[in-house]
Amino acid sequence: MADARAALGTAKPSGSLARRRRVVKDFATNKYLYLMIVPVLVYYAVFHYAPMYGALIAFKEYSPMKGILGSDWAGFKHFEDFFNSYYFLRILKNTILISLYTLVFEFPAPIILALLINEVRNKAFKRTAQTITYMPYFISLVVICGIITDFTNSDGVINRFFMLFGYDGQAMLQRPELFRPIYVLSEIWQRIGWESIIYIAALMSVDMEQYEAARMDGASRLKQMFYITLPGIMPTIAIMLILRMGNLMNVGFEKIILLYNPVTYETADVISSFVYRKGLLEFGWSYGSAVGLFNSVINLALLITANWISRRVNNSSLW
Amino acid sequence: MKRLLMAALAIIMVGTLLVACSSKDNNANKGESPAASNSPSATTEASANQQGEEGGAATYPLNTDKTLTYWGELTGNLVGVKATHDEVPFFQEWQKVTGVKLNFIAPPSGQAKEALNILLASGDLPDIIEYNFLSDFPGGPEKAIADGYILRLNDLIDQHAPNLKKFLQENPDIDKMVKTDNGSYYAFPFIRGDEYLRVFQGPIIRKDWLDELGLPVPETIDEWTSTLREFKEKKGASAPFTVNSKPRFFNDSYNGAFLGAFGVNRGFYQEDGVIKYGPAESGFKDYLGLFQQWYKEGLLDKNIATADAKSIDSNWASGQTGASVGNAGGGIGRWQPLVEQNSANAVLAAAPYPVLNKGDKPKFGQKDNAYSSGGIVAVTTAAKDAELAVKLLDYGYSEEGRMFFNFGTEGVSYNLVDGYPKYTDLLMKNPDKLAPAQAMSMYIRGSYNGPFIQDKRYAEQFFALQTQRDAIDVWKNTDASNYGLPPLTPTPEESSEYATIMNDINTLIDEMTLKIVLGTESVDKFEGYVEKMKSLKLDRAIEIQTAAWERYKNR
Amino acid sequence: MKREKGVFDRLFDVFVYTALSALVIVTLYPLIYVLFASFSEPGEFITHKGFLWRPLGLSFDAYESVIRNPGILIGYRNTFFIVVAGVTVNLVMTALAAYVLSRKNVLWNNAIMFFIVFTMFFSGGLIPLYLIVKGVGLLDSLWSTIVPFAVSTFNLIIMRTSFMGIPDSLEESAKIDGANHATILLRIILPLSMPVIAVMILYYAVDKWNGWFYASIFIKSRDLYPLQLVLREILIANSTDSMTAGADAGDRHQIGETIKYATIVVATAPILFVYPFVQRYFVKGVMIGSLKG
Repeated sequence: MADARAALGTAKPSGSLARRRRVVKDFATNKYLYLMIVPVLVYYAVFHYAPMYGALIAFKEYSPMKGILGSDWAGFKHFEDFFNSYYFLRILKNTILISLYTLVFEFPAPIILALLINEVRNKAFKRTAQTITYMPYFISLVVICGIITDFTNSDGVINRFFMLFGYDGQAMLQRPELFRPIYVLSEIWQRIGWESIIYIAALMSVDMEQYEAARMDGASRLKQMFYITLPGIMPTIAIMLILRMGNLMNVGFEKIILLYNPVTYETADVISSFVYRKGLLEFGWSYGSAVGLFNSVINLALLITANWISRRVNNSSLW
Repeated sequence: MKRLLMAALAIIMVGTLLVACSSKDNNANKGESPAASNSPSATTEASANQQGEEGGAATYPLNTDKTLTYWGELTGNLVGVKATHDEVPFFQEWQKVTGVKLNFIAPPSGQAKEALNILLASGDLPDIIEYNFLSDFPGGPEKAIADGYILRLNDLIDQHAPNLKKFLQENPDIDKMVKTDNGSYYAFPFIRGDEYLRVFQGPIIRKDWLDELGLPVPETIDEWTSTLREFKEKKGASAPFTVNSKPRFFNDSYNGAFLGAFGVNRGFYQEDGVIKYGPAESGFKDYLGLFQQWYKEGLLDKNIATADAKSIDSNWASGQTGASVGNAGGGIGRWQPLVEQNSANAVLAAAPYPVLNKGDKPKFGQKDNAYSSGGIVAVTTAAKDAELAVKLLDYGYSEEGRMFFNFGTEGVSYNLVDGYPKYTDLLMKNPDKLAPAQAMSMYIRGSYNGPFIQDKRYAEQFFALQTQRDAIDVWKNTDASNYGLPPLTPTPEESSEYATIMNDINTLIDEMTLKIVLGTESVDKFEGYVEKMKSLKLDRAIEIQTAAWERYKNR
Repeated sequence: MKREKGVFDRLFDVFVYTALSALVIVTLYPLIYVLFASFSEPGEFITHKGFLWRPLGLSFDAYESVIRNPGILIGYRNTFFIVVAGVTVNLVMTALAAYVLSRKNVLWNNAIMFFIVFTMFFSGGLIPLYLIVKGVGLLDSLWSTIVPFAVSTFNLIIMRTSFMGIPDSLEESAKIDGANHATILLRIILPLSMPVIAVMILYYAVDKWNGWFYASIFIKSRDLYPLQLVLREILIANSTDSMTAGADAGDRHQIGETIKYATIVVATAPILFVYPFVQRYFVKGVMIGSLKG
């Protein structure tokens, strides 16, 4: 967290000569580091950057024969197609809302779980809790959604439970206003254990001595959690949050499609599910690529913003 | 989880081949078939009458020592049974009877589209490709020809495929279907050779309940309503009528069940020479009103919005459902054992497509076209011996070939009993416990598709239950042929516009349908929706369809 | 004061244990459901709705169908190789990059970070990747699922953050003692990062274990198919949402349902053991105290 430049030295000559000198000096000091990272750079160059010309397909009328570079230029036609759709605003809104709800409610859940598990003394219980809570992540989405549908249908277990509180018994997935809660809650259910793993690992590196000191000062367990544990894993939380922001537009279509139906389109239909339906009608890929590109641009902008904020507030950031 | 996202993103954005790469120079000649295969073996065939003379069929097995590469998916029925084509008796025999050795390449099940894309992009074209170019290729078959992947087969068929040629000459309406708007033949088609094979879906009802309650098989909408009421009250059915609603309410209504009684269909159809769109017609409003009423009365599955195959199975087996819409095979065949769990003497039988007034003929009903584009086979521009490939593929349309594709080898998979090809126990009661569909797929292609003409006698035997066989006769009695449209394709330029419009319109209609049926909105909202459809450019879509229809008629 | 603390802490404990127990029960259910379903009598299972308290009937038919498939053993063998080789490659590459990128005063680090992170957002798609893999000569080999996926940017970021959390003083003192980067990485950074490394192993292993899509594109030979691809084919084959005019008898459909669950058990059981295995590396405050000063 120390300023790189301050560590290097004091007075700094300015101008391009100085810059060159800095570069040379840096190479001299760090040449082994650069050497170490060459394989990874090569990997990214070959397998990520070299194929990137494929993204151009969003701007072309793709014809398999002519290839991407040779296909006719379509400019922004596909993007316009997308923006002009009658449902554009709705699917955009749903995508963002579902992502935000997930962020607000599902993102903290694994953190809380990690903190709770951390507080458990009994080793056996601790292990059991850790080992079991992460299992739903491995069960295929089709099965999970099948269970959800079954439980929330009229006569379903959850449905009947709520009827005790006055719910009218209609199949819950037939109600647009219930879609998002069901979606988010089931996300928590499926992911809480798996996502807590990284936080549990991060907790391991929190200094034991700080706890000792706090206990001597008479702090309660709760206070310890807030003043030691939580700040201790803050860098991890910050990074995970930044990465999550960079994925805001990516509400995956699989789960949406398994849970939605036309009656809940108004809250459930997101960009990916809408594009999926279109893909069934039409077999070119340019439209899908254009939408994907749109998503990516927004995601990148969000990531950069989140990163910048985090750097200011927290001093931990990606770059 | 991140990887899944990345994979999803990657899947969405698909690209292709660097222009630089080599083997693309043959886009110069737009796939006009070079009949220039001067290979000696091709000419030494006993096909002395090669000049398109009727009946001058090549004799099989062909005399050649060439091997052709064949790319195609292995039927889903055999997954887990046999891993490659080479292990399947049918394909082994096929090579023997035609005399042509084949090198099979199979993409993983369900990945055909991606695999084909890669195949085309990489430039390693095989000689023969089995793939649905009509519905699964961007731009359609004409584009596949224009782009230089597959051959325009007109000359080749004319000279070297007398069996197919003859069949098409004798069936001009089918001939129209298998060509493109420009009159190009692009693949060896799969033909359902009899009307009996084209109908396989319709209303299914618990006959034993009807008998018990002394009710006739319902024919009119009113009879249906009262029958369902009896099912609810007397048999305690909580979901008297249920249908598959994934991905949309009553997905099978595309085939006109129940909708047809009100004079409309779920999609495009033609009436008095004009193309109409069902959901925009007034009949659709009455249909919505009917189902809204049924839902309110509890005659329709309460969970209809989420009803899928699994919940329907469950309902049949627990006696909650008395009627649905399904296939003779996948419906009656699949549900019969389930209802027997509910009651030992349960019987599922077909009911006719409902009409409004007694005695009317149903206006719409499921009827597939004679030409079905699954299983069609094309010859690529990379084929070293296109002539040989065409001769090979012509086999399925010869007398011999038809028997082989539909029934297999005499003595092994069938026996002639009074002139009727009867499947042996090897297929029907397989010693290795394979289900008939699987056993059949080992020895024949009649049970799925391919480059041949399907024979009715396959279906007669495949349907093990009498109720299934009867069902076809009950269901085929509709006017669908007069109102249905042939397979139409918009031009490549229009296709993306068309898809955009239809995606919006379908979303709108699917939402409207469920909202009204569930009672969330009143039926009177219908007119407002039609207005919206128009503002979503429905008329433009009809225009595109009409133009496509004109082109079709002029083929 | 001590007594107040005691009561409060006690209540807190109760809360923690209750909440966790509830969560454990709720998250255990899907697994139980799948297990019971896989052992159920196909006919009974089809009609069942609601909670599954126990297997319905007892039937091994589903497992029989799945295991009978010769591809399963081959699948296991291939996937095992992919996981072991793959995770090794992943760890080495990721650790190298994370180490370099977590060092201070390296001029190009920010640029490199951006270079890498950018790839999370923009991708050329499947076919250019295919052509590259082909060009590099990896087609139709198990390595085609490993090399093009050598580093997960997401994981790299996590590892880098973790490395950055190790105090500079340790690196400094090591340098004074004449250690080079390799030594620092291997003797200091890695041993102190065991929990994170354990998590990386878990993430990468699960990812490799679950992969089937790229294998389906890059691998032609069936005897190189990984487990998930084999299982996927079984699932598809047994799902009777068939388009073919005449489907098969009802029995095959019913067993198709239970086969789905048997498949999941066969596919998932082994990987579920990885986490308990790596949990032993989640040891608190490793060596920081001892290395201080």
